[in-house]
Amino acid sequence: MSNLEKKISLPSEAIEIYKEVCLKKKISVKELEKTMKIDRGKLEYFLGFLISNELVERITIVKKIPILTEAGQFAALNQLIERRIVDLLREKKPTDFDSLSEIINGDKREMNAGVGFLKKQGILKIDEGKISLIDPKASVSNDLQRILEDLSSGKKIDIKNYEKTLIQRNLISLEERKESFIEMKISYGDISENIVVSSEISRLSPEMIRNGSWRKVKLRKYNLDVSPPDFYTGRKQPYARFLDEVKQKLIAYGFQEMRGPIVELEYWNFDALFQAQDHPAREWSDVYRISNPSKGKLPKEDHVKFVQQAHENGYDTGSKGWRYKWDPMKSARLVLRAQGTSVSARTLVNLPIPSKYFSISRCFRPDTTDATHLSEFNQAEGIVCDPSITFRDLLGILETFAIEISEAPNYTFKPDYYPFTEPSVELSVKDPKIGHIEYGGAGIFRPEVTRPFGIDAPVIAWGLGVDRLFMVKYGITDIRELYSHKLDWLRSTRMS
Amino acid sequence: MVSIKASYTKMQEFLGKELSLDELENLLSFAKTEIDEYVREEDMLVLDIKTSNRPDLWCAEGMIREIKGILEMEKGIPSYEVKESGFSVKVDSALASTRPYIACAIAKKINLDDFYIKQLMQHSEKIDNSYGRKRKRSSIGMYNLSMIQSPVLYEIAEKSHKFIPLGYEKEMPLDKIIDEHEKGLEFGQIVKDYGIYPILLSADGLTLSLPPVINSNDVGRITEDTTECLIEVTGTNFETVNVVLNILCQTMADHGADIYSVEIEYPPEIHKELVITPLLDLESITVDLEIIKKYLDVEITTKDAVELMQKRRFECEELENNKIKVMIPPYRKDILHWVDIAEEIAIALDYNKIGPTKWRVLTTGGLLPETESENLVREILVGAYGIELVTNILTDPDNLTVNVNLDKQELVKLKNPVSQTYSTLRNQIYPNLINVISKNTHEPYPQIIFEVGEVVKMNKNNVWTQTNAAFCIADADASFEDTHKRVHQLMKLLNTNYTIESLEHPSFTKGRCGKIIVNGKKCGIIGEIHPSVLEKNQIWVSVVCFELELPYIPSLECKIKHTF
Repeated sequence: MSNLEKKISLPSEAIEIYKEVCLKKKISVKELEKTMKIDRGKLEYFLGFLISNELVERITIVKKIPILTEAGQFAALNQLIERRIVDLLREKKPTDFDSLSEIINGDKREMNAGVGFLKKQGILKIDEGKISLIDPKASVSNDLQRILEDLSSGKKIDIKNYEKTLIQRNLISLEERKESFIEMKISYGDISENIVVSSEISRLSPEMIRNGSWRKVKLRKYNLDVSPPDFYTGRKQPYARFLDEVKQKLIAYGFQEMRGPIVELEYWNFDALFQAQDHPAREWSDVYRISNPSKGKLPKEDHVKFVQQAHENGYDTGSKGWRYKWDPMKSARLVLRAQGTSVSARTLVNLPIPSKYFSISRCFRPDTTDATHLSEFNQAEGIVCDPSITFRDLLGILETFAIEISEAPNYTFKPDYYPFTEPSVELSVKDPKIGHIEYGGAGIFRPEVTRPFGIDAPVIAWGLGVDRLFMVKYGITDIRELYSHKLDWLRSTRMS
Repeated sequence: MVSIKASYTKMQEFLGKELSLDELENLLSFAKTEIDEYVREEDMLVLDIKTSNRPDLWCAEGMIREIKGILEMEKGIPSYEVKESGFSVKVDSALASTRPYIACAIAKKINLDDFYIKQLMQHSEKIDNSYGRKRKRSSIGMYNLSMIQSPVLYEIAEKSHKFIPLGYEKEMPLDKIIDEHEKGLEFGQIVKDYGIYPILLSADGLTLSLPPVINSNDVGRITEDTTECLIEVTGTNFETVNVVLNILCQTMADHGADIYSVEIEYPPEIHKELVITPLLDLESITVDLEIIKKYLDVEITTKDAVELMQKRRFECEELENNKIKVMIPPYRKDILHWVDIAEEIAIALDYNKIGPTKWRVLTTGGLLPETESENLVREILVGAYGIELVTNILTDPDNLTVNVNLDKQELVKLKNPVSQTYSTLRNQIYPNLINVISKNTHEPYPQIIFEVGEVVKMNKNNVWTQTNAAFCIADADASFEDTHKRVHQLMKLLNTNYTIESLEHPSFTKGRCGKIIVNGKKCGIIGEIHPSVLEKNQIWVSVVCFELELPYIPSLECKIKHTF
């Protein structure tokens, strides 16, 4: 034991900590922090002396801790889906899928999973679409429910037997927690004679600088091997920051920003874009409608009349139009902006020529939320108008976007379809890992779109899938992360 | 977008050419179609067709028709002989104001196997659903011809009229079919809205179907043994029912079936003349090639244009002065304007061969002043140690009310939410931030977070979008002062004088909450979150926060965006 022979010089605080560790033999760093009433940074600093002199040792233990997922949290508060279904069926007798899903107000897939689970357990049966309990007194074991509730209230419990089921059902996720312990290697009593209190000082005080005493004292060396305490800078949200970058690039190309409201008149979202009033994209399943108020007021300008004519007979464009009776009441209905192009449509009023516009806007479509779908997402889109513009320029614009914004040199153009542009082009990029990705699209606005606003020059409309772009660039596979609630990710995800 | 399933082998067989998946994918792009998935074990391709106005493409035959043109294996409008069948349909004038139109044809020598029947059903279903607007605008029916006598009667029936609907064993009256049959539940509303029951009958009184809901179980069932069938399309629009019939006839003819025509006798209230369907008269559009050349920026001769259009399965006639008359195949009704012809030419030329220009439209770019203002606020809040968040605008109404001790308020709600979690538009942001803090109780404190984002508000006269900035600190030692000093510094940097007036607010602790006032107007709120809110959200440390409505800070240029 060579340590026993040589003198060990320690700051007095380190000696106090050493004594405490020896008293407990083994203590977690957290607990030590509490008992010594010292902040983590300083504690680590003093522990550095003890560890480097091999008086104590650091041990890290990794524990897996169950954390409730969003679904798990929901189930803890509102009961598990199978329990809710059984409760309901006991009251409601046989019912069908639709009314079941309506009553329990859950998403369809979750409900299907619940029904499937109960069917497997032999608790319910499905006859010609009617769901009923096999035994009206049946009940579901409440083991899982109790675990969820315990976890939710922060109790520490053992879930070993249920862990697999809970994970499979996406009710919990396991999180690794590292905990550091300090263990005594040599007891204080055995070595106390060799320890001397160091006379070095740790802090340079303002007085020392002023009165010159700094010349006489020795400043203690820092232990550079110790990792510093966690520190979180304020920072922009990674996805928001990426969108800022995209905006900067578009501005550099001379695009002017435009913005519009989230709740939109169908007129701007569809009619002005020559989407017929019975177009499938205007159905309940494809666009969110507002219930209160359900209707707004159409603009008072003349273009409304011309848009109506474009639909009914093509207005003055030579087009056949859609040949039906256009209904202003349908046009005045309120929806959530379903496509960023509605912002462009608003910009067509008094459009300066030449002009280039862009908008990055939140858009909404009814969709069940999962790793690839969200009911809300961002669209980058815009317009370019100039009398000289041609279809080849449109390809040129997409090429610019592919190279400059998507940083994707391997692109191809494919025919595409939008109700409001002709011709329409898809910008398809080949990614070595994912395959073909639709990065963006563009087209020349149909004259039925531009003429009602008195525009004769061609107007190119373009869009970029910025959500997808960000995900590919940062290797994100779950689109929900773009709107992440995970503070850990928000604090620590890489910026470049 | 429409998604269909097709057989990889059958597609190649039908084209008469072997193709690798890559080659097929490339060719399909000319038909605006993508391969979404290939299931090798089942020989199955899942295809996404991007165009919603080309129902002729929603089957393998339709795509092959396009591909044959691109590969120059076939050119121009595909044609087939139509013979007279001697069959006729009599339309009752009582249908005039509801579902007056019908188009019919007879197909013989149809060689049906189980796979082909499924493909036919898939095609009809896609057309009914999307192009037929869920059968409201048009719907397709197919029947075993051997059981039908001419003339077929398209008329109205009493609700007590009975027949055996497809999939059932017993006769049911029409009103019961609407209320109880699976298809009645799905499509019955269309008939209910009519207030009458449309019916198709054979001359001998046998019921064919209750359009657009359900066929009868015997005559309306197509099996592998069916060799001759009657195809019928009813609907509200003359052009639609006819184009749908034309698509089906073309597809069956492509498969080798013989097509026979049917006479439709309309009463004068509905249509003045006798119509013989399928109605294969070619519509045409005359276009000026000079205009198209300029539009596309391509150099082509009239002869080139004619050939290119033939590749796209059109026929052309050259006229004087660089004009051409383009004949449109009878299965297409999507050509409205010369720009549609321009696209056909561009597709035939291949977008990748046309190639991009170095485009040049010189303009000055810039952010809107409101975005610049928002960015300024974001920058200051990041400097105040804030971690920025971007959260959903759609939220659970409970999140905006009970979760933060607030009563029901005027919230903008969705009529058709997919789930309760995303059913309401947020009208302020701090409830979302509290929600985030409650989900991160295992993360180290202090947690300092903020969001500058859009919210939606309403009053009696309007709905509008505006930007708010909310800032929250969660920490055992968090105090009112921690937010106060930040608001104070923010306002100082924004060169804005403000005052704080005491306020009672259910989200905040009494005596520790205030409204932020600028120029005599309330523009925000500041305070310490009430312990009962913390308890509800299972947050075990103190939370302080502020939220500012940026349009009410005069030194910023954030504006309210009215919907109307």
